[in-house]
Amino acid sequence: MHTQITHLLALWASLPQIVRTVVWILIITIGVILCVAFLTLWERKVIGWMQLRRGPNRVRIFGMLPGLGQPFADVFKLLTKEVVVPSAASKFLFRIAPALALIPAIAAWAVIPLSPQLVVSKANAGLLYLLALSSMGVYGIILAGWSANSKYALLGAMRSAAQMVAYEIAMGFALVGVLMAAGSMNLGQIVQHQQGGFLAWNWFWLFPLFVVYLIAGVAETNRAPFDVAEGESEIVAGFHVEYSGIAFALFFLAEYANMILISTLTAVFFFGGWLSPFAGYPGIGHTFLGDPSFFWLGLKVFVFLFLFLWFRATFPRYRYDQIMRLGWKALIPVTLVWIGVEMIMAAIHIGPWARPWFH
Amino acid sequence: MLNNYLPILIFLAIATAVALVLLTLGSTIGRFFAREPADRDKLSAYECGFEAFEDSRMKFDVRYYLVAILFIVFDLEIVFLFPWAVALGDIGVAGLIAMVVFLGILTVGFIYEWKKGALEWD
Amino acid sequence: MLVEILFYIFATLLVAGALGVITARNPVYSVLFLVFCFVNSAAIWLLVEAEFLAIVLVLVYVGAVMVLFLFVVMMLDINLAEIRQGFTRFAWLGWITALAVIAEITGVIWRNGLGGVDVGRGFVSEPANYSNTLELGRVLYTHYAYPFELAAVLLVVAIVAAIALTLRRRPGLKVQDISRQVAVRAEDRLRVVKVSAEKRS
Repeated sequence: MHTQITHLLALWASLPQIVRTVVWILIITIGVILCVAFLTLWERKVIGWMQLRRGPNRVRIFGMLPGLGQPFADVFKLLTKEVVVPSAASKFLFRIAPALALIPAIAAWAVIPLSPQLVVSKANAGLLYLLALSSMGVYGIILAGWSANSKYALLGAMRSAAQMVAYEIAMGFALVGVLMAAGSMNLGQIVQHQQGGFLAWNWFWLFPLFVVYLIAGVAETNRAPFDVAEGESEIVAGFHVEYSGIAFALFFLAEYANMILISTLTAVFFFGGWLSPFAGYPGIGHTFLGDPSFFWLGLKVFVFLFLFLWFRATFPRYRYDQIMRLGWKALIPVTLVWIGVEMIMAAIHIGPWARPWFH
Repeated sequence: MLNNYLPILIFLAIATAVALVLLTLGSTIGRFFAREPADRDKLSAYECGFEAFEDSRMKFDVRYYLVAILFIVFDLEIVFLFPWAVALGDIGVAGLIAMVVFLGILTVGFIYEWKKGALEWD
Repeated sequence: MLVEILFYIFATLLVAGALGVITARNPVYSVLFLVFCFVNSAAIWLLVEAEFLAIVLVLVYVGAVMVLFLFVVMMLDINLAEIRQGFTRFAWLGWITALAVIAEITGVIWRNGLGGVDVGRGFVSEPANYSNTLELGRVLYTHYAYPFELAAVLLVVAIVAAIALTLRRRPGLKVQDISRQVAVRAEDRLRVVKVSAEKRS
């Protein structure tokens, strides 16, 4: 058994770099899609529990764990549904718009470091790449809304485009704060720079920016309480009202993949990514719990994803003017002020620019 | 340096492929399972049971354009901030002051649009 | 070798996209072709290791400017027949402008060459940890501080112009003042009255 594993590892190492990259990309892509599948189940379960219901509990896998088979049942159902293309729609755009929404949500994982060793691309401008991709995501939504040639779809698309645009600025400013602390746009280096236990992570010095980033992240993904783009009580389902079957499923996939992405990025930018909260602490600092690993990143991502679901179960939906007001008049000023505070901290060498008591 | 970007290109290609494969697969299977033949009602846009009165592409409030323009301006501001934040350790107090002036000027613009009510959404 | 192949792929796509911009009948498709062009030119910039500029091209032009274009093109009630009529009437003007631009470009290259760039030489590729952004940041805020501040002024002018052109107040609009709503205290609105219970008869 042991020799077989070493054989396999040797075989893996002997493969050309490009093949290994492709294999990793496929693993990550399929992993993200599987995570989305179970996230939908987890969401329905959590919201069910919060509302004193049970959530999905019928479909089982091998007769175990009620509800675990639900995502697969959903996938099969959506795959076998017809994709109806309305007669007034711009056919080509209508068909490719779901793909345009999904591609950025998946391709963003190229620069995200999953563990100290594991990252597909160590590009220097990783953060910039992420920002560029997230601004591409708006195309899928605008084109879906416009090409369907339906009033509800168009209204939903316009709302969601204006909203994403407003919160992207707040997000960008928050990331400038992270960059100032890290001095690099490479995500791996941003994590490295937060080394030194729980209080050395960025959230401590950049707390307002963390809050802004999280709120902007929820708004960017069009999740409750910022989901006026869907607004089922007014515009039915927003930009994807005309979509059915797999085309709808791709929008769904993109939304949940974006949720996982935002949670991961929050963990990477503000909560030390793969770093352990106990690193350097006496006692546990030298065990498995003190080591940086994928386990810690996964745990943090799970916590932030739970926040997304909790928000949805708790907060009533914002009105549209309130959303725009929050984005422009609350979040952007907060980030600007905190960038100013960071400038002062950098000038007098405190915080992440000195860290005398972390080392 | 380009070695870092080749994986990104491959990733983009694979993401595109995954999306297109899913779409094609789903549409094909979906067509196979379709029950009703496509008729006029099935293919018309959804408007709560009413027939669509007109083409849905209509004039929009100019406010949306204003938001888009302001977004461009602020996006550029962020782009100017990025290299500065990266180089902060190297450029010292001079660079810091340059950015204070830059942000100061733009904050004046921000206050102007705030006072003018361009950020109101009513 | 790979770089050359990729360059020709992206360059072909870029030219094809550019042709699409001017031949597409629907303006929305034109804008989307333009987006495609920007993405391809970003890829070409990346091939010459200008990572910052390449990604910023996508971020600013594709992510912001083209979204505005899409907004405008999608929502303006453009009557295509009317446009086509104008097209044939003013085609001669377009041709003259195009020829003038081509003549200018040719003239500049004729006189100055390609700005001292030896195209045949290729370039030295940078090490993996070379950060384009850092190099840019080192000079932009110190050596080029003055043009940098001018950019700020330009952006403010853009803000003012955008507001002056598009902001219209609709009269007689009832607007919520949220800070006043939040500042409401219970005692201003609510009076608790002690009512003695009625005697049961």
